[in-house]
Amino acid sequence: MTHEATSTVVTEVACPLCGHACDDLSVDTAGAALAVVAHGCDRAVSGFARLGAGSTAATPRIAGRPATLDEACAEAARLLAASAQPVFGGMALDVSGARGAMELVDRAGGVIDHMNNEFGWRASRVIQDGGGINTTLAEVKNRADLILLVGTDAVSAQPRFFERCVWVKETMFDLQPDSRRIVYLGGGLDTQPGHSPDGRAPDVFDFERSRMPEALSVLNALVAQQPVAGDAPLGIALARWQALADALLGAQYSVVVWAGPAFEVSQLDLNVGAIVSLVRRLNVTTRCNSLPLAGNDGDLSMGAVHTWQTGYPMRTSYASGTPKFDPLHNGIDRLLATGEADALVWLSSLNDLQSPPATGVPTIVIAPPSLKLAAEPQVYIPVATPGMHHTGHFVRTDKVVTLPLQALRRSALPAAGEVAVAIATRLKEVQS
Amino acid sequence: MSVIKLTGGRVIDPANGVDDQVRDLYIRDGRLIAAPDAHDRISAEYNISGRIVMSGAIDMHSHIGGGKVNIAREMLPEDHRGDPVERTELTRSSCGHAAPGTLAAGYRYAEMGYTAAFEPALLPVNARQAHMEMGDTPMLDTGGYAMLGSDDFLLRMLAAKEDQQAINDYVAWTLHATQTVGIKVVNPGAISAFKFNQRKLDLDEQNAFYGITPREIVKVLSRAVHDLGVAKPLHVHASNLGVPGNVDTTLGTMDAAEGLPVHLTHIQFHSYGTEGERKFSSAAARIAEAINQKKNVSADVGQILFGQTVTASGDNMVQYRNAGHGSPKKSVIMDIECDAGCGVVPFKYKDQNFVNALQWAIGLEIFLMVDDPWRIFLTTDHPNGAPFTTYPHLIKLLMDRSFRNAMLDTINPDARAMSNLAGLDREYSLYEIAIMTRAGPAKLIGLADRGHLAPGAAADIVVYKEDADRERMFEKPELVFKDGELVVRDGRIVKVVRGGTHAVKPEFDIGIEKKIKPYFERFHSVRMNNFKISDDELCECGGGSKLIAHACRKRG
Repeated sequence: MTHEATSTVVTEVACPLCGHACDDLSVDTAGAALAVVAHGCDRAVSGFARLGAGSTAATPRIAGRPATLDEACAEAARLLAASAQPVFGGMALDVSGARGAMELVDRAGGVIDHMNNEFGWRASRVIQDGGGINTTLAEVKNRADLILLVGTDAVSAQPRFFERCVWVKETMFDLQPDSRRIVYLGGGLDTQPGHSPDGRAPDVFDFERSRMPEALSVLNALVAQQPVAGDAPLGIALARWQALADALLGAQYSVVVWAGPAFEVSQLDLNVGAIVSLVRRLNVTTRCNSLPLAGNDGDLSMGAVHTWQTGYPMRTSYASGTPKFDPLHNGIDRLLATGEADALVWLSSLNDLQSPPATGVPTIVIAPPSLKLAAEPQVYIPVATPGMHHTGHFVRTDKVVTLPLQALRRSALPAAGEVAVAIATRLKEVQS
Repeated sequence: MSVIKLTGGRVIDPANGVDDQVRDLYIRDGRLIAAPDAHDRISAEYNISGRIVMSGAIDMHSHIGGGKVNIAREMLPEDHRGDPVERTELTRSSCGHAAPGTLAAGYRYAEMGYTAAFEPALLPVNARQAHMEMGDTPMLDTGGYAMLGSDDFLLRMLAAKEDQQAINDYVAWTLHATQTVGIKVVNPGAISAFKFNQRKLDLDEQNAFYGITPREIVKVLSRAVHDLGVAKPLHVHASNLGVPGNVDTTLGTMDAAEGLPVHLTHIQFHSYGTEGERKFSSAAARIAEAINQKKNVSADVGQILFGQTVTASGDNMVQYRNAGHGSPKKSVIMDIECDAGCGVVPFKYKDQNFVNALQWAIGLEIFLMVDDPWRIFLTTDHPNGAPFTTYPHLIKLLMDRSFRNAMLDTINPDARAMSNLAGLDREYSLYEIAIMTRAGPAKLIGLADRGHLAPGAAADIVVYKEDADRERMFEKPELVFKDGELVVRDGRIVKVVRGGTHAVKPEFDIGIEKKIKPYFERFHSVRMNNFKISDDELCECGGGSKLIAHACRKRG
């Protein structure tokens, strides 16, 4: 189904509301809210409706009192100049927002930490420790003959994963999409989308997901033709595990899908490291790749810009005048909890559901007007949303494809990146 | 109007045949002019008598932006710690040695007198990110070579025996869609072959699915680039990189272009024989002889220099094979969008390691045995052979025979014994260095107003203090002007500027989109219209960089 473009309906719209970044949405711009009229998942429909409001009476505020944008930026700069260690949280931004944020954090001597980065930095550490063998969505769509979902059902993170990458009509090559084998590792997952269109049920290894490290050890051992103790690891017959190992070894192009937030935080490095080992082992004789699902709330957009501009991933401190990367020290929750941080900037243009934490330190909130705040911050600046009110760029789950975001309707509100740059400019004046 | 005058410098401008002549230079509105007219006034004068003056240097092959570079940055915090760039009133903080942040890269290039750099492996599907990274690389003009040759669409066209005209349209469409200045092919067809579990692909070996050979790919792509009137010859990363005995593949790849212009990149990695006890030897003499004879062939060297670096390549097949040699031992290998791939492997070149030492010697042998400096280019394939910051050291190796031989005496003795480097007396002149690093790249890429100092040229100008130690001379120019603005003084940034983005605009039949659009909808993960980068969007990607568009005159 495609929705014809009309004077008010825009087609081929890219969606910034999850890391999959579907780019086939049709959005009607005529009403008070932006209405996704084709190819929208629930998250897209509600997100465009909520964030995409047109006229808004929202104005900046200083200590709860209305202020001009200039006044609010000046007050934010004053607070940052007075702060010894400001921290930047939220960070649900597109590339342009991230660029502005980088200019500000460097000038302010702060630390950036994305709302999803408790998982992100650990996944990054696995890359730093050993690396990986990864693939991207179009490869999955056209080549994957066996998809192993480790602890995730994919759709909780990226609702249209199966629709767009698995149960498609055709592939570039000889592979029949309906013939793909789907395997879930772990219980309590929504496995319904894993049923093939012709009714084949997926293979579900149902066990407590906190035991994922054991499960991956079993699989790694069997793929490496090493012995495994017991005849039913995690309560599942060894023969089933062996059959899965054999299927992976026999597949032409298997894909191992995982998502950081689906793992227990303390097990994330262990699980991802085990996935990397499994994939490396399989590549000795056949092809196998992993596909991390990330990118929600612009975490990969913020992370990519941070890394390319300065060399380091997030959780880098700019306090000393040169970047200092220390992901253990520089988690902003930790810095706030220990009292090491004395100001919080909450920047978000894509997420209006997660509020800034209550901290007791001076707080500057730069966020869409639809974000509900538990407490009034010292400075509040409402901003527009990229992909709805202004153009932008969004890095997709595979870290390869960047989608262009469209301006669907105008907003009187500034973009988050512009606000960050305006504060940085003010801060420079205050400091000099 | 106001005019800047550079007085009394010793000008080296090979594009105009000027070799060390004392001349005054005048800059007005970002460009060189012959002399001020009655309406002009000299607003600033720099007395540079005795100083050497060249146009801004141009790096025609440097991995400065795109997904694989960012993977390298992310995976190597240990690379960055010792190499910080401080925040100043003018500049932002950044860091990194082999895989620096874009800010550090831009500042350092400018501080060495470079005013342009070209990303040679821009994956079409990753073009936006590459342009965004290059846009965040201050000081430099940038551009990219779009990678084709393992993309399903082209291989499908070849398998269906579509005619050259259709392929030309697709190549031109790709150049427009990705906003690039040339076409590159990496291990032709093999990135695709690796996805079908092939582990090597010789020049005349077929891709298992399409039945197409690397030779056919080089042939049609070099023809397409030529027919479309794109100045930059097809940029070829040949098959069998790093494999002992690959010299025959490399010579065969030159022939695959069938006499049309072809550029063999990082040719050092493709100049290996199988002689000697260890079955690894220099084939530099055969390669240099071929380049000397075949006037359609150009090459950049991809010199290795000893120390820690990281290799970042589109060649996932070879990078997977070499991952075990990584130091530190880690690697990221990717299959990408039925379009391309990449592989990132950190590497430490050691002067006492036989293979590394011989690679070092082979690169220098090629530099010294290729006669025509217009067809050989000074690169380290940054960061694959060494970071670009080693260029001044490399220039000294080329210009100073006694220094070179002293270095040669310190490397692995078995490698030294296998190399004829000690017998090569040639020392590059400043004029030849200016060709290799300025005039040559500008001519090769088709940058008519760059790489020279004639009236009308963009005022990208570098002033060096003459120094017998060429490394010291080239690492810290006294003055650098970018588009007529003084941006570096005594090797330090004094003004931060944003460069432009070069892209070619060949003519083609837009009717090709009738095939491409439904193809994207059937098979790809993005729509064609979201794949293409418009001129306006390019500027936004570049954070405000200007598009520098180059028309092409069809030759087909």
